[in-house]
Amino acid sequence: MQELETVIALSRTQFAATALYHYLFVPLTLGLSVLLATMETIYVISGREVYRQMTQFWSKLFAINFALGVATGLTMEFEFGTNWSTYSHFVGDIFGAPLAIEGLMAFFLESTFVGLMLFGWDKLSRGKHLLVTYMVALGSNLSALWILVANAYMQHPVGSEFNPATMRMELESFTALFFSHEAQAKFVHTSVAGFLTAAIFVIGISAFYMLRKRHMAVAVRSFRVAALFGVFASIGVICLGDALGFISGEGQPNKLVAMEGLWETAEAPAGFNVIAWPDQEAMENRFALQIPYVLTPLVTHSFDGTITGARDLVHRAEVRIRDGIPALVALETLSDNPNDRDALRTFRIHGDNLGYALLVKRYAPDVTQATPEQITQAARDTIPPVGPVFWSFRIMIAAAFLMLGFLILATIYSLRGQITEKRTFLKIAPWMIPVPFIANEAGWVVAELGRQPWTVYGQLPTWISASTHSVGYMIFSLVGFVAIYTIFIIVEMFLMVKFIRKGPDDGPLPPAEPAVAAPGHTSQWSQA
Amino acid sequence: MKNILLFAFWFLVGLITLFLAIVLGEAGAWYLAWVLGTVMMILIAATGTVILEVDDEQDRPY
Amino acid sequence: MEIYIVLKLVWWALLGVLLIGLAVMVGMDMGVGAGLRYLGRTDRERRTVINMIAPHWDGNQVWFILGGGAVFAAWPTIYATAFSGLYVVMLVLLWSMIVRPLGFEYRSKLPSQRWRNLWDVTLFISGAVPMIVFGAAMGNMLRGVPFHFEWNMVSYYTGSFIALFNPFAVLCGLMSIALALYQGGAMVMNRGTGVIRERACNLLTMAGLGALVLFTVCGLWVWLMPGYVLTGGAEPAGPAMPLRKTVQKVSGAWLNNFAAYPLLWLVPGLVYAGVLAGIACARRGLSHVAWWLGALAWAGTIGTVGTAMFPFLMPSSTNPGHSLTVWDASSSATTLGWMLAFTAIFIPIVAVYTSWAFWVMRGKVTPETIEHDEHAY
Repeated sequence: MQELETVIALSRTQFAATALYHYLFVPLTLGLSVLLATMETIYVISGREVYRQMTQFWSKLFAINFALGVATGLTMEFEFGTNWSTYSHFVGDIFGAPLAIEGLMAFFLESTFVGLMLFGWDKLSRGKHLLVTYMVALGSNLSALWILVANAYMQHPVGSEFNPATMRMELESFTALFFSHEAQAKFVHTSVAGFLTAAIFVIGISAFYMLRKRHMAVAVRSFRVAALFGVFASIGVICLGDALGFISGEGQPNKLVAMEGLWETAEAPAGFNVIAWPDQEAMENRFALQIPYVLTPLVTHSFDGTITGARDLVHRAEVRIRDGIPALVALETLSDNPNDRDALRTFRIHGDNLGYALLVKRYAPDVTQATPEQITQAARDTIPPVGPVFWSFRIMIAAAFLMLGFLILATIYSLRGQITEKRTFLKIAPWMIPVPFIANEAGWVVAELGRQPWTVYGQLPTWISASTHSVGYMIFSLVGFVAIYTIFIIVEMFLMVKFIRKGPDDGPLPPAEPAVAAPGHTSQWSQA
Repeated sequence: MKNILLFAFWFLVGLITLFLAIVLGEAGAWYLAWVLGTVMMILIAATGTVILEVDDEQDRPY
Repeated sequence: MEIYIVLKLVWWALLGVLLIGLAVMVGMDMGVGAGLRYLGRTDRERRTVINMIAPHWDGNQVWFILGGGAVFAAWPTIYATAFSGLYVVMLVLLWSMIVRPLGFEYRSKLPSQRWRNLWDVTLFISGAVPMIVFGAAMGNMLRGVPFHFEWNMVSYYTGSFIALFNPFAVLCGLMSIALALYQGGAMVMNRGTGVIRERACNLLTMAGLGALVLFTVCGLWVWLMPGYVLTGGAEPAGPAMPLRKTVQKVSGAWLNNFAAYPLLWLVPGLVYAGVLAGIACARRGLSHVAWWLGALAWAGTIGTVGTAMFPFLMPSSTNPGHSLTVWDASSSATTLGWMLAFTAIFIPIVAVYTSWAFWVMRGKVTPETIEHDEHAY
């Protein structure tokens, strides 16, 4: 048992580490691909050389980032099978489909065209190259779509049913899976968060050049594009995040209480915990700074809603665990005799709570002998670790509003034509680059740590999901990943910084000198 | 011939767009919103550079 | 015949198609990577060779990712059991594969010779190791893997990881890397000129002949080793539950399908025909034909394993009754149906734009073109 717990802990650590690492590169790919398409659109329409240089410069940085995104993505594709084999068998019938479709529909598109985008500048006409760039942007965002459809299933399993004949969840409705509100909201929020990441990245680097009066033509234009793009992205990501929170709160009340640090059920009007020090053991906040009235409309989108607190959720879980135990017993009977009528009937009645019975199996290997204390313990497990979720959530929100303010200023300065004079702002801008990355990681923690103790919410507990490896295997793989990934990030940062310092290949191109502009440069712009 | 092919191509694109708009509008409003929102953001960002070029040509600071 | 049976058979065939696609497309790039230091003697030549596959390796690699995804979707029990059972081997495969994108992308970004030599080594490792593991995995499937299930389908692997590198599996791995080198040679011949093209032709010849020898040895070995026979309990239309059947180990049983349908001997015949005709074509300069004949040889190789094992996919050596077969390791009919629809729509589309991408980037890559191309690796 002790060994099992260690293996689970190591498997979780490894998955979280590799996923968080992968997720450092993904949002930038999502957003930068769309920004590249935007820049190239301007190039194709206006025909001005400077926009070609701009697109090519940012696509070099895109490529460095993309290589690591692809490399670390390979790990994710295989880790479900290597480390979470029970999970993979349990929901493979549903979960595998979006992953395979992601490969078919998105990865092929993205990866085939990224080669043409980087190497095809001289082999393709402008229009065709633009199309290729759009395909890369579409492909990377489609891959986000499908992986989030899969992830949404873990958060809110819909369109499926447990089949005792095969001991796994099976797909009932593909459309329910694809159109689940959780999936939709997750995709839109995540994709737009990627847009925001890219916008801040481009602004930060452009500001770095402006401050040094280098590559001004490219920097000023990149800044403008990214500021306008980013300001909408930041508004979008906040609104969509609120909506996602609303949807998740309905489907996963246990995640919601962790996000808000809410132990007691709150009648309207409830106060919002700005900061708090949650104590999981005592199930209370040792300290909390509240804004009165705000929480109810924020969470329920109404003024009279009630929000169930953690203590009541634990009581509910106890009821479900007791109800689920007969289902687990019946399932064991069915594994010997799949046609046992009594067992089938019992399973039909109690099957919905099978996952809850599995929760208590962690403490009571024979669930029929589970003591009330063990059931309470299992029920308390259904509240995810409140402290980390609560604080990650607040970090994410603070970062989002910080970026919103920053981008509003950036847009105003850029549109007023004052940006090159705002030296303090330009000095701050490169230091903003880490902010969206921190917010993305914090968002991942809220979503996935907030899902605990489940891998599939309400269906499959995490403790039973992992492969049955030895501790030695897990240490071997964990050490290997840490070593390789550390080398990767050092090399990547080194090259990234080197190419940023080198800057765009703009040669003798002072801003707005008609003589060097491309043939498409006519007065039509002035009339437009 | 080229015109006919072009027409057929854009006709197909139009059909797919209509189909997607109907299906997504019905069942996947968020997905539709993403498509429209992203296109809007691209267009607005592009327009921003148009203003920049106009300012630039008239020698105003940018 | 019941629709579920048809779906299972179709997905068995599609699994083969995927593995062939993976072996041909990814294998070609890996062959180039593994043969890089032979094909190019100077840095200029090596850059030339790398740039032949530079625009395509990423797209080709998706075959590998899709392989993982499609096995997950259509054969979830195989995905779960094989990937976790072969844990250490899978990690070695993974780690060698994830340095590959960086090798391509980062190698020529700095002029330092030491930097480039270092990345050359990673390209060699990330070319040779995954193909050897790929072949060795196939070999281990033929031998059977020590695993079993609990009643609730939690799987346990009871072997050591050293055992996965048994002599038979290693031979299969070498066969696999040999075919990959053949395919890489054909690719470099297609896009190379002069001395590089000559070296590629030699590589192709040597690798092709080596592959045939290894294929023959492996074939004889299979004839002597114990195969698995279904003796009851597995309903072709039944639910995906592998715990309720009986299986026997019988020496030479992997040849039963060939004995029952002698026409199937044509499948291994494809390997000999493809490689020999391919070498002949390559030596006459018809490298494109040689490339396609190499693909045919791959189809023959994977087809041979598939036909020999049918209906087995992953036999269990310690508890043969828990072996995974076509009948009891697949997804539900609903999932298989949806996945088939997506595959039928998207694979042709993928084929069209992949061909277009190759067509756009067609033409010879020479040291001179690299010098003048600012976008080259």
